Amino acid sequence: MTTFLVTIGIGLSTAAILSLSAVAFTLEYAVSRVANFAHGEFLTIGAYVAYSGQAIFHQNVAAAAVIAAAAGAAAGMALNFGLIEQFRGRSAITVFIATLGVALIVENVLVIIYGAANVTYSFGQGKLHHIGPFLWTTSDIEVIISALAVAGLIYLLLQRTRFGKAVRAISQDRALAQVSGIPARRIIMQTWALAGAVAGFAGFVLADTFGTFGPTLGFSFLLLTITATVAGGLGRPYATLGGALIVGLAIQIAGTYTSSAYQLVFAFLLLVLLMLFRPNGVFVRRSTVAVRA
Amino acid sequence: MYWVSVVTEAGIFAILALGLDVIWGWSGDFDLAFYGYLALGSYLTFVLTIGKPKPPVEYILGYHLPVVLAIVLAMVVVVGLAAIIGAIALRNLRDIYFAVTTLGAVSALYLLVENYTPLFDGYNGVYGLINPGQTALNLTYNGYRIAFLVVVLVLLFLAYLLVQRLSRSPFGRMLRSVREDERASAAYGRRVFGAKYRAYLFGAALAGLTGGLFAIFISAFNPSAWTPQELLVIYAAILVGGRGNPRGVILGVFVVYIGFIELTRYLPSPASRPDFGPAMRQILIGLMIILMLRFRPEGLFRERPGLDRYPIENGAPIPASQRPAAPPGLRSEERGTSERATREGGASKAGRRRAGKTERAGG
Repeated sequence: MTTFLVTIGIGLSTAAILSLSAVAFTLEYAVSRVANFAHGEFLTIGAYVAYSGQAIFHQNVAAAAVIAAAAGAAAGMALNFGLIEQFRGRSAITVFIATLGVALIVENVLVIIYGAANVTYSFGQGKLHHIGPFLWTTSDIEVIISALAVAGLIYLLLQRTRFGKAVRAISQDRALAQVSGIPARRIIMQTWALAGAVAGFAGFVLADTFGTFGPTLGFSFLLLTITATVAGGLGRPYATLGGALIVGLAIQIAGTYTSSAYQLVFAFLLLVLLMLFRPNGVFVRRSTVAVRA
Repeated sequence: MYWVSVVTEAGIFAILALGLDVIWGWSGDFDLAFYGYLALGSYLTFVLTIGKPKPPVEYILGYHLPVVLAIVLAMVVVVGLAAIIGAIALRNLRDIYFAVTTLGAVSALYLLVENYTPLFDGYNGVYGLINPGQTALNLTYNGYRIAFLVVVLVLLFLAYLLVQRLSRSPFGRMLRSVREDERASAAYGRRVFGAKYRAYLFGAALAGLTGGLFAIFISAFNPSAWTPQELLVIYAAILVGGRGNPRGVILGVFVVYIGFIELTRYLPSPASRPDFGPAMRQILIGLMIILMLRFRPEGLFRERPGLDRYPIENGAPIPASQRPAAPPGLRSEERGTSERATREGGASKAGRRRAGKTERAGG
């Protein structure tokens, strides 16, 4: 029982990171109808920029998190301006392949700058805490709290501000939003900045949890992100949080009771099963209509 | 001998690209599991020919079969795997959903092979298939390499003839009609899933063959040989050559492989940065994919149109500007073959099939 509860605790921490990354991915999809395969690179960029900044900011975790988010936001805007907008009107799969090309480029630019070998953070994990039945390190707690905070902030942004209203309108119908006077290009750009910032932060948090990471950090986390997003339903930010929770817990539990090496095997099998039975997410009634992107 | 090796590699990958082009170019499914089929074909060719493993090395089977038989058996198993993945991914899923599902499947397979050592010795991989048949044929090492190049080129030529013939056949036209508009071709009596499924299995069979040839070529195989990047190179080659055009695809592979291997040899690679050369190569491939997609999605060689030179409606050609807009999500933007392909593929057998038997795959 204790093992199980500790597993749940670790699962919650995994789910928290996953939710950050997945919410960003789903926001990108919501406004641009693009499955962004360069999304993982936002995470990697965030992690590396924080790595470069840690010496300058004297191992200050908060400062590192902020510059990771800023770098992610810049990367998000650059991708939207340089690629997504250039491919407007092209089919979803064409843009998807193009983002795959971007992922390849960014990953290898990072290899050239930082080398292919792993680098290590010097932030440390902090002490172990027993909170209720769970066993968490200080950084686990920081991760969970910050993920909840980000989720709350995104909720407020989307539901209570003009910006959020515009995002929701664009995600339903960009042309209709535009004729209603919404500056779609600007709002989409801002959404990519927001998504990039969240993803960059997620990358820092992810790298911090591992302590050591390499240029493939984001890409290897991408499929897990997509699994969580699909579990919630692509383009639905709140359901994505639920999806992240399910996937985070599922892989930790499966990993603990078999072998941690097979954790991701379970995640990917879960992805295939989801696609087979619930391609529109587990929170909607099973649809009889086939999915089209 | 250097050139023999470069051309052999390009020839092997040209066969692979022909198979992938049937799936992606004709049928329109962006398959990310495809390199897994080459890998499985390669692994199986090894374990069927190199004999029992000596501990601590471990892998399944371990037979001493003749290499040709081993490759045929490997192809059968590969098609079996493709039958499972295809049955899951092709039935209802399209576009990015299809791509993500195949990526999920191949990633699960990859991690399983890498971590479960009794299968193919995990990260160490399998090795030891060194020039099968060299002594039987009484060849020198170099003579063997040249003979192998000839075998590869002959197989490539045969694969090309087969694919070219298929491309012009009703089957090829049907696939293209399905790619352009699934609902329209279903209405003409095409079985959408069946058509895509057969194309998928055919492509996978070629990948299995390539895996076997690759096993002979590099005589060792481990997980680092089939990372996702390898597949992107093949897609880049198809994009450069011309998606859907078999001759273009072969040319694209030779241009990309020989061009890249030659070009990147002259890149400065400082000793302090051993990663620089390979990384630069990947960056160029990524750039090539994006630029081709953006500025010349049809590639150097356009897909050859069908028999009609222009789409015709009510006896009169329709100018491109007045053709009906394609529904969103379909790939008609990239070429205007929809009307042609549907009519040709649909008219031939439409009367013989009952409309009620068609698959409904449109969303």
